[in-house]
Amino acid sequence: MEQGAESASPGIDAGKADAVSRVRGLLFRRMLVGIKDGRFFLGNFHCLDKQGNIILQDTVEYRSTRRSSPSPMEQRCLGLILIPASCRTSCHVDTSIEERLSLLSLQDHHDQTS
Amino acid sequence: MAAAEASIFSGSGDNSVWTDVSPLLQAACNGLQDGELIHGDNFNLYAAMSALEIMDPKMDSGMIGRYYSVDEAIDGGAAPIPISFDRTVDVQCTIDIMDHLLACEATWHKGHSLAQTVFSCIYLLRPERTTSHALLHSYSSVIRATCKAVISVVSDARTHEEEDLFTMMYGLNLNGEDEKCLSILNAVEETISRQLRACRALSARRKVLEDIEPLQNNPMLEEGYCRAILARLRFRKHFYHVLMCLKRPQGRGLQLARKHVASCISELKAIRELSGQHTACGGQTISEDRTTASGRQPVGFDASLNARLSAPTPPRSIKILSWSEAIEYFLKLLQDLDIISSCSLENSLDCVLHFVVQFQKSQPDLVARAHLQRLLLQDGKLFGREAIFSVISKAATLPEVVKNHDIEKMECVIQLGQLVINLLRILCANSAWQRRKLGKILQDWRVTYIQLELALRSKFGEPSGTPSGENICMNILKQLLVWVEEKVYWIASRFLMLGFELELYSTSEYGMVYWYIYVVSVKLVEKLHHRISISNRGKRVKCRGKKKRVPGKDATRDIQFSPTVLFLQSHICLAEGLTMMLAALRNEKMILESPTPFNSDQERFFQHFELLQKAGIPDHNSYQSFEGSTKNASLSMLAMYNHFKDAQRIAKEVKSSFSDDPERLSELRRIEQVAEHNSVALSLLCRVGDALDSSLKLSFEFSHHPHFATAVVRRS
Repeated sequence: MEQGAESASPGIDAGKADAVSRVRGLLFRRMLVGIKDGRFFLGNFHCLDKQGNIILQDTVEYRSTRRSSPSPMEQRCLGLILIPASCRTSCHVDTSIEERLSLLSLQDHHDQTS
Repeated sequence: MAAAEASIFSGSGDNSVWTDVSPLLQAACNGLQDGELIHGDNFNLYAAMSALEIMDPKMDSGMIGRYYSVDEAIDGGAAPIPISFDRTVDVQCTIDIMDHLLACEATWHKGHSLAQTVFSCIYLLRPERTTSHALLHSYSSVIRATCKAVISVVSDARTHEEEDLFTMMYGLNLNGEDEKCLSILNAVEETISRQLRACRALSARRKVLEDIEPLQNNPMLEEGYCRAILARLRFRKHFYHVLMCLKRPQGRGLQLARKHVASCISELKAIRELSGQHTACGGQTISEDRTTASGRQPVGFDASLNARLSAPTPPRSIKILSWSEAIEYFLKLLQDLDIISSCSLENSLDCVLHFVVQFQKSQPDLVARAHLQRLLLQDGKLFGREAIFSVISKAATLPEVVKNHDIEKMECVIQLGQLVINLLRILCANSAWQRRKLGKILQDWRVTYIQLELALRSKFGEPSGTPSGENICMNILKQLLVWVEEKVYWIASRFLMLGFELELYSTSEYGMVYWYIYVVSVKLVEKLHHRISISNRGKRVKCRGKKKRVPGKDATRDIQFSPTVLFLQSHICLAEGLTMMLAALRNEKMILESPTPFNSDQERFFQHFELLQKAGIPDHNSYQSFEGSTKNASLSMLAMYNHFKDAQRIAKEVKSSFSDDPERLSELRRIEQVAEHNSVALSLLCRVGDALDSSLKLSFEFSHHPHFATAVVRRS
């Protein structure tokens, strides 16, 4: 599973390969995923496939007790979960400010190239 | 992300922030090859497969349905109080809630979780809200108390091992004032019966003595509603009483329990009849799936609200039993509880075993079986009254001196006591569980038997020159050994018979099963007869000592076989007849063996009887002995000696001895029928001989007896 598929051609392919390696760098980090029905899942980033499905480890589920916000949150532990890409609405990673800047700049770079 | 969430999910340190990585992930996905994954070194595809899939309705119990929480549902008007400001509608809806709760309760008893059934009722989840609605409040508090009592029986009895969902309470609020629930219920019942009296007086144009506010506004409906509600409240009251009576130690509440069971049944029937009148008036066709008598959807139920509470189970969607099924269920439960309450506390162990086996024939559900078990075993004593060793010594008809004897303290005797307790427990479980456990405990019984035998040998290895005190001890141990052996064969035969009830045997295996039943029953009868004759001898000695006249009947019984032995003898003849008939048919190629490419006869023999073989039941009994005893069987031989005729004769003879026991009488009648039919079939087969395969078809059915097959010859 190393980056054997990495292409030599610059531009788009380089950008993609870069994105893959950047995401690989996010493994084991705390990730917060929001889904369509309003729940959030906070867990350690474990796996990502081509379809965008995410597996989180040691996950805690957070849910509001009311539709109107702000409202108190309820939480429970779920462990290993798979979040299908189809129901994911947001995805955040716990980063330092510097790292955030570099991730954002990468995205800008990526936006330009694609 | 909204500000509120941001504040909760603060980053790990002061200068850490949540960074949106969605676009980055999207880019990475585009960059991945098909089937390629991004993962770390600790990734294991097999483990990842067991991840809980979010938003999958079969895995994700936390999916948010209509409401985020119980409180939001209540705010949204899902469970209003009062249910309606129109009092007629309010009463209607209350009856619907009562009916749906009954259906939920039955569904729970049938093996679904409490959280998804009874506690799908929002009113039950927030007991403090209903205080202003006396009717609803009284009903929901008695339901809560009832659930708690039922859980306590089932978890005490540990029969729930078969239904592990049953006793999980998931932190549901079951703790009400159990004592108070009856007084609340009684007060409400009193009010409504006054309202009923008032409305009857009004319709009879009599003067109403008291000024009573009616239950609701429509005078035409008043009487019907009053009666409907009264029947429901009274059913709950009596049902709770039944549970409390059965709970009393040492079976002290059994008689009272029977009275309450009878009241429960009559209230249930009244509920059903009243609803029949209502539906007849309405003239609408009501679907069979309805969970209420009226057919309306009840207000205030949402099973998805606490689906999260059933965390250890996948969020299965369940179907609540219909209202009529629920009534049927409770009628059956009450009948079963009535049988339990009619159990005589003076019964000997053998009678108790017979009682339990008989009780199990009607396939009672978990709650009834749990009650039976708790009645039988309290504080490690039979019915909470008699210590197990004393029960055993009575069953084994040990002499009186055994009391205060140190035999009781022998380790293997203590073990034997534990085995008897376990046996009673197991016999109260459902058939499948029961058979599995019976097979397993056979070995324990066998080990205890061997230990007893060793103890006997080591203590009394030298038969000569022992003082008489030792002799008594030796006799006791010998008698105990005979009894243990008898029980081992009893368990083995129950194990074999249960296989028929569970449909574990295929037609081609009947031969070996009946052979095994035959072998085990012969041993059982041998031991039983041995024990009975020992005890009779003991009695006679005692009688002679007291210089009393021995009744002639007793003296002859000693030489003859006892009715119990003869009863089993008819089973033996039937089993032997079937074994031989099946073997002859096979030997003469009159039934085609279905050739299986997988298992030989010998392998199947081992699979079915492995547990018996391992426990050496009976000794020196293997596939070879089965083969040996059946390989020469032929129809001509069977024509000369017909075992079925023997069975028929014995069954006829022994009937008179059981004239006061309707169960055994009907069993004997069944045996006679099976024997007669098989006898006829056998002579027919002998006559037609080889013509069988062309024009006649032979099959085996269980139309007359659940364990003994009847051969049926049909023209094809």
